[in-house]
Order: sequence, then structure tokens, then C-alpha cells
Amino acid sequence: MPLEDLAAGVVLLGLIAYAMFGGADFGGGVWTALASGPRAAQQREAILRAMGPVWETNHVWLILIIVALFTAFPPAFADLFTALLVPLTIALVGIVFRGAAFAFRHFGHGTEAGLPGMAAVFSVASVITPLTMGMALGAIAGGHIAIEDGVVTSGIWEPWLRPFSIFCGLIALTICGFLAAYYMTVRATGEMQEEFRNRGLLASFLLGALTTSALPVAYWDAEPFWDELADPTALAVIAAAVVMGLTSLVVLWRRWYVLAPPVAAGTVALVIAGWGAAQHPYFILPDERISDVAAGDATLTALLISLAIGAIILIPSLALLYVTFSEKTGGPAVEGER
Amino acid sequence: MFDTVTSARTLMGVSLGFHICFAAIGIGLPLLLLIAEGIALRTGDETYRQMAKRWARIAAVLFAVGAVSGTILSFEFGLLWPTWMDFSGGIIGFPFAVEGIAFFTEAIFLALYIYGWDRLSPVAHWLCTIPLVVSSAASAFFVISVNGWMNQPEGFAVVNGKAVNVDPVAAMFNAAMPYEVTHGALASYVATGFAVAGIYAIAMLRGDRSEYVRKALVLGLAVAAVFTPLQIISGDLSARFLAHNQPEKFAAMEGQFETEEGAPLRIGGFPDTEDRTTRYAIEIPNLGSFLAFEDFDAEVRGLNSFPQDEIPDARLVHYPFQAMVGIGFFMLFVVAWFFGLAWWRKRIDPGRLLLLAIAATLPLGFIAINAGWFVTEFGRQPWIIYQLMRTSEGATPRDGIGFILLVFILVYIALTAGLALLLLRERRRPLELGAPPGEAPHAS
Repeated sequence: MPLEDLAAGVVLLGLIAYAMFGGADFGGGVWTALASGPRAAQQREAILRAMGPVWETNHVWLILIIVALFTAFPPAFADLFTALLVPLTIALVGIVFRGAAFAFRHFGHGTEAGLPGMAAVFSVASVITPLTMGMALGAIAGGHIAIEDGVVTSGIWEPWLRPFSIFCGLIALTICGFLAAYYMTVRATGEMQEEFRNRGLLASFLLGALTTSALPVAYWDAEPFWDELADPTALAVIAAAVVMGLTSLVVLWRRWYVLAPPVAAGTVALVIAGWGAAQHPYFILPDERISDVAAGDATLTALLISLAIGAIILIPSLALLYVTFSEKTGGPAVEGER
Repeated sequence: MFDTVTSARTLMGVSLGFHICFAAIGIGLPLLLLIAEGIALRTGDETYRQMAKRWARIAAVLFAVGAVSGTILSFEFGLLWPTWMDFSGGIIGFPFAVEGIAFFTEAIFLALYIYGWDRLSPVAHWLCTIPLVVSSAASAFFVISVNGWMNQPEGFAVVNGKAVNVDPVAAMFNAAMPYEVTHGALASYVATGFAVAGIYAIAMLRGDRSEYVRKALVLGLAVAAVFTPLQIISGDLSARFLAHNQPEKFAAMEGQFETEEGAPLRIGGFPDTEDRTTRYAIEIPNLGSFLAFEDFDAEVRGLNSFPQDEIPDARLVHYPFQAMVGIGFFMLFVVAWFFGLAWWRKRIDPGRLLLLAIAATLPLGFIAINAGWFVTEFGRQPWIIYQLMRTSEGATPRDGIGFILLVFILVYIALTAGLALLLLRERRRPLELGAPPGEAPHAS
């Protein structure tokens, strides 16, 4: 495999990890906003507790994606941030408010030091961020970013406000809600577990509906991407994603909660991998190839080696983190949210 | 509204000025946690344990603000400076990638530290501070090495406007790196030490002379006392490096317009860029030449000897340089006063004036860090990559950056206001002193 494909694979892996971990945290914001019923306060509380120690680590995946992107594919980084100036700025503002509001809320939780309104800010920002990021990814795949001789010629609005891009935004948002609900089923007990199960079922139906209807939208609005879907590897990965998605539905239906997080994460990983397989060998559809925008071999080698060494440090550290903070919550009622 | 380049520069400057404070705390505070909890483990002194607990709680929120403000910067590379990144990404992306790994490690162990009081054994918990200290210092190394490269670009050749023969490791180990990295990392320990001391000096001024406050004050000042003299030496070495390798930046720092043998050291003064002279400075004869070249009669190049479209604005460099150096020596004076007095009286009993001076250092460290940042950034202008790419050439071709600037100024105001409110409320929380170890209520 050429080095640049390996580096592109690393960026895709980063994106998958960010979706699997960071995406679930955005989903936590979605379910904080949609908390309902007699246990609404406990639902928010359980999400807050589950996210508290890990959200910042989960956020770092995004930083790794950005640095890997500008190290390995500097011209593509420049083109993407020029072409997608508006959605990326909105996503960035969302990231800042999401993170700060969560940290402020968590800091003040259970003490008198809290600030009012932080849960609301956290929730709204948790919706806006994945939505605009998904729209930006949709613009990359949809083939509406125009680049001539290395200069972005498309405007600041069109590429990401196309129907296909909007569909991708909705899919990204649904993925977040889907993951969070599935992950929470193993952390909750009793009636709250049922509530997260219902939310998970709802989200998986919605995800299935959105991804299915994205296909005709792609045919109509994202022709280059539609053409790439015929690639056999892409078809195989997408078929696996469909199977995994149906499995995750069955898992939750039958209340096999232990399996819920891995099948949900697997579904999302396969959906994103399917998108990546379809994109290959293009970085930005329809014209910019991975090989056109890759940095030199010395840079790619240095990057890949450092990431491999980093993985040796990070994987056990991450395991320690998640094992230390994986316990069930939702037992006795805790005081409500402001 | 500003034009694109001015808006982009302003936004980048505001973003870095904001982030750099949290980055400094993120580097300095782990060291204080390591020492405080280490003392608690060794002596069983509950005061130090409470100290570490309270600082860790605050570290959680400061680190979060540091993480989001750092994310802003990584996006701004693309949003504001895509042309620069197109050229540089393949050269200086590598240290950023390694920094990403270091930051990842830091986030993981910070979470284990902050939320692991009841879940890890006391020793395992304390051990978490070691990867924190190491990875935060490593982050400083990798990030600042990039700024070193912008000042002393190495590790590539340019063919048809593209970088070729890239050696990312050579780029990282550029000539400016050792000086900038040392100065930046030491600054973090100094500023954090004084910030902590300043907080407890204010508490003492308000009449709280408890054992907890006294011990915390001494710990903060002790860290500051170790690192302040080292920082002054590192500053001297950096200035000497600049005199040799970036003479226009050095000339701007010193307000040196005419090339001069036996140049004076100017303290204060107002560089007049119209009349090309620095007025009303206290001039110490020949000392400028000596500090730059270890020779009282050495020639120091003045700004007039460079092409006039390739020099920085002396005012933007000289004033912050004076501020930084002035603060550095004031800090040295404060720790000498404090520990001198303690040694003389054989007890820790600072008077009101000394406490006021320590309280003043609470913001001064961060002001000095930003002033130093102004010196290095304004001093490199008009270049974004020294003598290779102008700042104006690196900016985005997009319009509307002025609007984004406005949006982010509001974001920073909101963040600052939220954080200030939160910390003011935290101050009113009582300590949990006296609770037996392991049974203190969990902070979350």
C-alpha cells in the first residue's frame, strides 16, 4: 500500500474513533436536551456522570485528525478549510461552547459554584457541532467543492447547503444520538435502562431510514459519490454496515445489553469506513486525489512512525481510563439539574 | 471592518494570547500537584492533600478551557492561514502530530488524576502526576519548536514555491528551538508558581493566615524561586541568539535604530519610528553590545541598516520586551525578599507590603508570557516564515474574516466571564479539612 493511502487510512481511523467516542458525547448532549418523563433529571445526571472523566480525552481525537490532515495532506487541508470556512467555523464555535459548558456544569455540579443555563448551552452546542461537521463531510463527498489549479472557486455557502450535505449532517447527528443511547444502556439500570433502550431503538430506526434515503439523494445531488459507491470494496463495507446495523437493532430488541456498545460502535465504524472506501482514491470529490495532495515520503514516514509509537503509549492508557470509569449509574436519585 | 490580513492577525493574536495562559497553567500546575501530593504521601500531612484536591478540581476546568482554546487554534491554521499551512504543513506538521499524542496522554492522566481520588490507590494516584508533568512539558517542546521554525526555517528546500527535500526532524530541531522551548517552558512554571502564590497572598491580606494558606503560599513561591533565576538566564541566552541570528528583531527589542559600536542598554524609552530614534531611555553605556556579543565595543546592527520593508515595528517589540524583562526582575526581587525575610526571621510571616507585591505577581506572569509572545511574533514581522513568506501571503483568500473575528471576540468574552464567575464562586466553598483520607466527599 502506498504511504499516502496509509496516511489517509490513519485520518479515516481517527475519524472513526472520534465518531465512536466523541460522537457519543455529542449524543449525550442530544439526550440531555431530549430528557423526558419522570426520570428526566436522572437521565441527565447519568449522562453527566458517564461523560465527566472521558469527554476531554474523546475530544482529542479531533485534534489528532486535524494535525494528521495538515501534516500528511497540507494542500487538502488548505482547500477544505477555505472551501468550508462557514460550516467549520460554526462547528468550532459549537465545540468551544459544548466543551466549556460541560466543564463549567460538571465543575459546579453538586456544589454552590454552578452557573445557570450551562445544560442548555451544552445541549444546543452538542446538536449544532455534529450537524455542521456532517454537512462539511457531505460537501467533501458530494462533489460540490470546486477547485481549479489548487484554488478553491466554490462559494462559501453552496457546497455544504446542498440536499446531500444536509442529509450527511442529519446522519452525523443521528449517529451521535444512536451511540449515546446504546452506550448508556449498559451504564443505566432498571427503568432508566429501558428508557435508553427505547431511545436507542428510535435512533437506530432513524439512522436506517436516513442512510437508506441518502442513496437516492446521492444519485440526484451527489453524482460523483454515487458513482464511487459501485466500487466493490465500498459495496462490501456498506453491506457489512447494514448487517451490523440490523444486528444492533436485534441486540437492543432482545435486551442483550452487554453487546449494545460494541455493535453500535461497529455499525458507526462500518458506515464511516464505507464512506471512506467509496471516497478512495479521492480526497475531495470529484477531482482531488489522495496522491495529488499528499506530503513527501519523509513527512509521511515520520508521521506514521510517531503515531505507531504513540499508539503503544495511548492504547493501554486509554484502556486504563475507560476501565477505571466504567461503572453503572442511576441507582438512588440525585438532586436535579438547574 | 478590518481587511482580511489584519483580521486574521488580530484573531490569531487574541486566540494565542488567551490559550497561552491556559497552556502555561497546564504545564505548571501538574508540577505543583506532583509536589503537593508527594509531600502529603510522604509526611501524611492532610493540608497538602487538600491542596492537591482543590487545585485538581480547578485544573479540570482550566484544562478544559485550554483544550477548547487549543482546538480553536488548530482550526484557525486552516480558517485563517491556509496558504501558509499549504506550504508548511508537511514540514512542521510532524511536531504537531507528536504534540497531539502528548496532549492525548495528558488528557487521559488528568482525567485519572481528577476523578480517580477514590478509585486509585494513593500511590497510583500520585504516580499519575508524572505522565502529566512529562507530557505537558513535551507538548510545550513540540509546539514551541514550530514557532522556532517560523523564526529559523530549516529542513527543506524551495523549488517553484513548493517545499521539497523535507526533513521534518531537522525542521523540528531548528536553531531557535532550544532557546524558545526553554524560555517558554520555564515561563509556565514561573507564572503558575506566582499565580498560586498570588492567590494565597490575597487570602492572607484578607486575614486568613491559616496553616493551609501559608503552606500553599510557600509552595507556589518555592517553585517560582527555583525557576525565576533560570528564566532570566534563559532570556539572556535567547537575546544573544537573536543578536546573532535575527538581528532586526534584536534591534527592535533594544530600540536600536542606528548601527552602533559600543551600543548602550536602553531601559524604558519610546522608539520614534518617524524620527528613527529611541527617546527618554535610561542608557547604560556599552552594556547593549556586551549583552549581545560579550564585548563592550561590539557593533550592534540598527534597524536602519535593513531593507525598510523587512523590519518589524520597533514600538510593538520594544515596549513588550521592556515589560517582560521588568516583570522578570520584579519577580526575582519578590522571591528574594520573601525567602530572605523568612531566613532572617526564621519564620514565615510576610508583611502587608510584601504580600501586596506577591499578589501583584498573580497576573504579572501571564502578562509577561504574553509580552514575550508579542516580542517573538511582532519581532518576526513582516514574515510569517522568516525571510521566506510574508504574513500577508499566508492568509486566506476568503473575505468576511472580520466577521469571524467579531464572533470569536464574543466567544472569548463569554468564556472569560463564565470562568471568572465560576472561580469566584469556588472561592467561597469551604475546605474539606479534617475528613479522613479516602472518605472525603467526591468532588464531582
